[in-house]
Amino acid sequence: MSLSKKELSIIVEILFSILFAFIYMPFFYENSINPHSDLVRKTIEIVIFVIIYFSIAYSLLEIVFKKTEAKDERDDMINSKSYKLGYLLYEIGLFVFIGTLLNNLSFQNNGSIIFLTLMLIIFISFVKSSYQLYLHRTF
Amino acid sequence: MTLKNILKEIRQKKGYTQEELGTNVGVSRQTIISIERYRYKPTLELAMKIAQKLNIKIEKLFYFE
Repeated sequence: MSLSKKELSIIVEILFSILFAFIYMPFFYENSINPHSDLVRKTIEIVIFVIIYFSIAYSLLEIVFKKTEAKDERDDMINSKSYKLGYLLYEIGLFVFIGTLLNNLSFQNNGSIIFLTLMLIIFISFVKSSYQLYLHRTF
Repeated sequence: MTLKNILKEIRQKKGYTQEELGTNVGVSRQTIISIERYRYKPTLELAMKIAQKLNIKIEKLFYFE
């Protein structure tokens, strides 16, 4: 089964998620139980890892697939279906996040994070629905 | 009513691979595969390009069942 450049670049992203989980999640899990001040250094390390990983992966793809792939008419449909699913998961994730915050006693007296999160959800929902309405009227 | 096609049969008769046909009409091999397996309904523009390339009338290439 031969894979196209687009499919391989999606596999690159999937592999990144798996690698990230295996390499960095144990640290963050341990940090959630025994907090220590290594977070800033770790964040910088993650940014560098991301830059190096994607630079190498996409460069390799460019070397292997010299010809640029033309835009295919299925791309928009595939992208919109996957982004729709992603958006739904982000919304669910944010509500789980708010629930976790509310469960944590130290956040119950500090409403600023919950306020900020809710503002973000409302703003994103408003923009998404407005854009959808605009597309219905004009597309 | 389901939209079906005889794309695979005609394509093979004309001696095109999926990749060749895809390149000729401006789509990927995967799109041709999806059309042949009835998983994707092409736009009118793409359907007409395919019909033109294979030198067949569009209503013979695509039909409702």
